[in-house]
Amino acid sequence: MPKVWTWTLIRYGGALAGGAFIGFLYDHSLLGILLVALGLLFWQLYNLYRLERWLAAGRIAEVPDGDGVWPPVFAKIQFIKGKAKRRGKRFRKLLKDLRASTEAFPDGGVILNSNHEIVNYNQAARVLLGLKNRRDRGQRIENLLRYPDFIDYLNSPGDRQAVDIPSPVGPDTWLSCRLIPYGPEQTLLLIRDVSQRVKIERVRRDFVANASHELRSPLTVIMGYLDALAEDGRIPEAWQPPIRVMQDQSVRMRRLVEDLLQLSKLESGQSVPRDRVVDVAAILSTARKEAFALPEHPDAIEIELDSPANLLGEETELQSVVSNLVSNAVRYTPPEGEVTIRWSVDADGGHLEVRDTGIGISEEDISRVTERFYRADGGRARQRGGTGLGLAIVKHALRRHDADLEIRSRLGQGSSFVCHFPRDRLALS
Amino acid sequence: MESESFSHHISRRFNAELEHLRSEVLRMGGLVEQHLDTAVEAIISGDSDLGLRVSNDDHKINRLEVDIDEECRKLLATRMPAAADLRLIVMVIKTITDLERVGDEAAKIGYLASHLATDRERYASYSELKALGEHVQEMLHDALDAFSRMDVDDALAVIEEDKLVDEEYDQITRQCISLMMEDSRTIRRFMDVSWVARALERIGDHAKNIAEYVVYLVHGRDIRHTEREVVLQELEAAKGDRSASS
Repeated sequence: MPKVWTWTLIRYGGALAGGAFIGFLYDHSLLGILLVALGLLFWQLYNLYRLERWLAAGRIAEVPDGDGVWPPVFAKIQFIKGKAKRRGKRFRKLLKDLRASTEAFPDGGVILNSNHEIVNYNQAARVLLGLKNRRDRGQRIENLLRYPDFIDYLNSPGDRQAVDIPSPVGPDTWLSCRLIPYGPEQTLLLIRDVSQRVKIERVRRDFVANASHELRSPLTVIMGYLDALAEDGRIPEAWQPPIRVMQDQSVRMRRLVEDLLQLSKLESGQSVPRDRVVDVAAILSTARKEAFALPEHPDAIEIELDSPANLLGEETELQSVVSNLVSNAVRYTPPEGEVTIRWSVDADGGHLEVRDTGIGISEEDISRVTERFYRADGGRARQRGGTGLGLAIVKHALRRHDADLEIRSRLGQGSSFVCHFPRDRLALS
Repeated sequence: MESESFSHHISRRFNAELEHLRSEVLRMGGLVEQHLDTAVEAIISGDSDLGLRVSNDDHKINRLEVDIDEECRKLLATRMPAAADLRLIVMVIKTITDLERVGDEAAKIGYLASHLATDRERYASYSELKALGEHVQEMLHDALDAFSRMDVDDALAVIEEDKLVDEEYDQITRQCISLMMEDSRTIRRFMDVSWVARALERIGDHAKNIAEYVVYLVHGRDIRHTEREVVLQELEAAKGDRSASS
């Protein structure tokens, strides 16, 4: 126990004993103790009163003096007060710096609570979203950013990384919005101006679409004359092989142009409506027929139809998914090999698998085969008549149907391409 | 004590229901805005696919209208709202009708865009259509913003804008007439163009209506078919009354 407390106890004990002694002289020792105790009690009350006054007066008042245990108590409170003041100052400065740095941030940031109400935002967000000072705090974000894509993203942020929406402020401005949950209830909405990127993408897409469209008409003319030349008896025999090569090459070029055109259409990336039913059995058998029409094909191309369910979406696109996968499989499988097309449905959704016993894909190539014009083995694929765009088309068409492509393969042991369709894309009859 | 907390609970749920109603209307507004954007884009870029998509997607807006209508009827029947709550519901019922009409007009524009796109000859006054379209888009956007913020000043600004849109529409019509007189073979095309302009002008009117409902919602004054000066005076008076009574 600190010395001051010991002394105080001894003094109070002495005072009480003194009171008892004086009381004893007058034959009322209990009364003596009581009077001294009352005196002490009022003394403590008085000191407590001074402490309260001093605290209430704030920092201007001098530290009151006192005696006994009070001076150390006053001193400690004084010390704590000083520390709290210094800390408050530090926090205010920190907060100011922090706010200044978020204001300087080029990307917009909006803090939302669990009801999607705006809690706070920085300068960039105000400019990008056209928020009005103060008044928009507490407003639900979807009341101001009404773009349907954004509302979908807001309600199920797990589905996508980010979403691009046109700016509510000006035309030709695009914003990329990203939700980052933090803390128990709050979400940070990050907004970045991506107009430049969106513009470049659009220019590129338009260029590819226009270029392939323009290439198609001259190609048709060339092919027409080549057909006429091939059938013309007056052409010397020596010219027949070059004409055939030219015909083959122009067919290949037309296919390439058509694939490019199709890809540029699919790339716009919007989800295909679910209002049309596509007959899965029909598109599988069409793909099989097309495969048998190829110059070289394995004898065994089997269809395993495990489910009567159909798909909801765009028939031409789904047909091109299956046809591309099957013709790929056929192209890389030797005549004695086997290609299997399987359609099954389980609790996760529909699965369309195209399996072959062909040459397979090495592990490092698997992640890249869906890139356009990527060749797993240089020249060989070109000889087999592919355009290099098939799997890119498959990927984009599947994305428009909310489906994923899974590729499993081992070099020399064949490959398996599986399209996973979500349950809400199935038409279960 | 218990009954008080119960009534509090009810009103809180009622508040949440009203807030949800408001959000639903704005969601519908967002969808309509998107359709209008796409329709205008289809006209400008001459993309027939885009145009047809808008005219095929109109049913989504119609379904939302029916849903919100149903929700309003339920609220009227179960909550028996009064004063500002009642005004909100009445206003919502009117707003969704206007929004649905805007959707119809956008679908019409989309359909006409697919028509015009098949025409190989580009027409100079698409830039005027673009200007009109952007103007109307902005009006609709601002009207919905004014609704979400309950901002009377913004709403009055939208109502003012409508005059400019009407002027732009007149200009396009005059231009179409003179071009049709020059060359009678273009009549068909310019009929389509003037239909598009007409549809855009109608959308401007619907946006103006929505802005008027916002004034009604906030101040409880019906300002339809009233001169602007009278409206401003009345609103001043309403403000005076309120500050005097408080």
